[in-house]
Amino acid sequence: MTRHDRYQFTRRGFLGTAIAAGSVAAAGPLMAADTPLRIGMVPDAGATQVSVEAKAPLQAYLEKALGRPVKLIVPTNYNATVEGLGNGSLDVAYLGGLTYVKAHKRYGAVPLVQRKTDREFHSLFITRAGSGITKLADLKGKSFAFGDVNSTSGHLMPFHAMKAAGIDPETDIKARFTGSHPATIKAVEAGVVAAGACDETVFHQMVKDGKVDPAKVTVFYTTEPFVDYVWVARKGLDDATRTAIVKAFTALTPETDSKVLDILRGTEFVKADDKEYDLLRDTAKQAKLF
Amino acid sequence: MDGLASTLGFIAGFFPPDLSPAYLLALAGPVLETLGMTFGAMLLASVLSLPVGLYLGLGGPGAGVVRAVLSGVRAIPDLTLAILCVIFFGIGPGAGLTAIAVFYTAAMSKNFGDLFATAPPGPVAALRATGARPVAVALYALVPLKSRDLLTYASYEVECALRASVIIGAVGGGGLGAELVGTLNAFDFQRSTTLILVLIVLVAAIDQITLRLRARPVWLLALVPPSALALWLYLPAAPGLGFALQTVGGMFPPQLDAGDWAALPALIWETVRIAVLGTALGAALALPMGLASTRGLSPAILAVPVRRLLEALRAVPEVVFGLILVATAGVGPTAGILALGLHSGGCLGRLFAESFENVRPGPVQAVAATGARPLTVAAYATAPLALGPLAVHTLFRLEWNLRQATVVGMIGAGGIGQALFQAQQLFFYQKMMAYLLITWVLVLLVDRASAWTRRRAGWMELAPEEMAAG
Repeated sequence: MTRHDRYQFTRRGFLGTAIAAGSVAAAGPLMAADTPLRIGMVPDAGATQVSVEAKAPLQAYLEKALGRPVKLIVPTNYNATVEGLGNGSLDVAYLGGLTYVKAHKRYGAVPLVQRKTDREFHSLFITRAGSGITKLADLKGKSFAFGDVNSTSGHLMPFHAMKAAGIDPETDIKARFTGSHPATIKAVEAGVVAAGACDETVFHQMVKDGKVDPAKVTVFYTTEPFVDYVWVARKGLDDATRTAIVKAFTALTPETDSKVLDILRGTEFVKADDKEYDLLRDTAKQAKLF
Repeated sequence: MDGLASTLGFIAGFFPPDLSPAYLLALAGPVLETLGMTFGAMLLASVLSLPVGLYLGLGGPGAGVVRAVLSGVRAIPDLTLAILCVIFFGIGPGAGLTAIAVFYTAAMSKNFGDLFATAPPGPVAALRATGARPVAVALYALVPLKSRDLLTYASYEVECALRASVIIGAVGGGGLGAELVGTLNAFDFQRSTTLILVLIVLVAAIDQITLRLRARPVWLLALVPPSALALWLYLPAAPGLGFALQTVGGMFPPQLDAGDWAALPALIWETVRIAVLGTALGAALALPMGLASTRGLSPAILAVPVRRLLEALRAVPEVVFGLILVATAGVGPTAGILALGLHSGGCLGRLFAESFENVRPGPVQAVAATGARPLTVAAYATAPLALGPLAVHTLFRLEWNLRQATVVGMIGAGGIGQALFQAQQLFFYQKMMAYLLITWVLVLLVDRASAWTRRRAGWMELAPEEMAAG
């Protein structure tokens, strides 16, 4: 964030929301075009505010498509992102399935778009080659890494899969939260934990980038498909902006936007629907995470 | 566990630090943010705590109640305040600034009050005798009499606040802390090392600047304009307050279910264990390092590098050690004990060295006159003579570490802090509030017990930085 951006934001605060809202209504698109759209990114992909430059193509694409400045904000945890939608410091956020259902319930967050693969997402259970762990039952008594406590693919769904396999994650394994998918993968590779669970797209991307050796870290179980990541708008965000965001994402094609799609680790975007998350809500309730 | 080898491998991953010009340049933003929120918050805290401190110093009606409220606020761990501010005002330095301002307003008001209370009674009584009203007494007697002490103490607080701002950044308060957590999550350890070096340099620079300023405290006023600018830039928007009140409302009534109650004693025990063992480790590290850096006892060739090492250990807050150890050695109380031990070692080492330097010279010279070697002098004269002050410093550290044990717990070291953080992360705010209140009562109890012990033993004097830290 630059000092200039903050200055604007703070000034708006001093004037009061009433005046700001009034002037937005009066000045219409002119005012909206000036204020940056604040987008909260996912914390568990392991990015920082400084390294956000790596996401410059995404920012440039959205600025062009929306016709206004875009600011990408990297939070340190999911809770802060969801609360950002509540306290109005974020307009749009990228959330996991579990955090989406929480944000929807707490603050009426509106689902916009998601990758086609998010409709049928999987968690991977990984271990070090030669660890002797080949199935979920082998995890009994072992050390295990989840990602962020609020992560769908890094905690909720692996938790659910273990329960279904007769392993109680609260008593049968020595569990820890690493806070992010890359951290889980690295912890398994280094042998800090016997096994872990992570997001499939992050794992494959790290293999592709040479950041993890697939000969050293192997997948021994893949969960049933579930619905995961989604881009959402805060409740009060205007319809025109929402529609423009949906349009911007669904228009992405591998032919012309490969750089942007690489950042998003996807190939095709579709409209998201709250109904898709009913099953996930039940699972989250059973796991006492919702 | 095949832990040791992997831990060593992890430590190797932190070197060499990423000192590329591009990264260092990119860090200018987070550094400015950290400095801005620290100085902005401290300006606000100073302005707010001066009148409150004067009121307490003059013993106005209800001063006891005010004092109790301030102690209460001070007992809330800074990280918890930061988490609440992030919830209320959003990610960024605005939340960090507010958290620091609240914490240090409480701390400084109380200590300003104590300073004013010790003003020489003569001039104050003389002014009162003229029939001057309390405001006049405050302005024309208390403030001038104590201005030097106030500035000295405030400058120590600025150093503490700088370290606190890094911790606060780690939960979304912006600046270097946020960057540090990001690099650890991304396993970008070489950049983590860079950030820690930046922190050490910053703390050392502030230390040097305030040291100079303490000689000429008026120059502290030069910090006011940039601090005011930072305050103006970062102070959260007023409409956030309504949301804050609503969110706090949702945290009541605090609630724990039967299972949580059953697990509570074990959680508290784990926190206490982290504090006690962390303090013990700190004292064990501090004793040899303190002796090795004592002027007049240890040769400069040994004393100077040890002193630098102690400075580095002090510059890195417990939570930062904790974040690194949790990321590398794994979650659990061991990481917490090591984190508290390393930082405490740095703090106690310096205080121990000062205690050794301040022992009565007679017995030391007597032993040295027998031709005893330095180690023998230390063992039979210096160390026994300094035993009292050593015990006071260690006791104070234990009290401080109990609070820090809940804080390192939040970043994964276990105990009640971890339970609190987990509840917060999962949006179970009523449960979080229950843990917060329990922690708060625990810290208040230990504060009381420690103050009582000190009074009974007649150990009232604290070093200024201990007063600032507490």
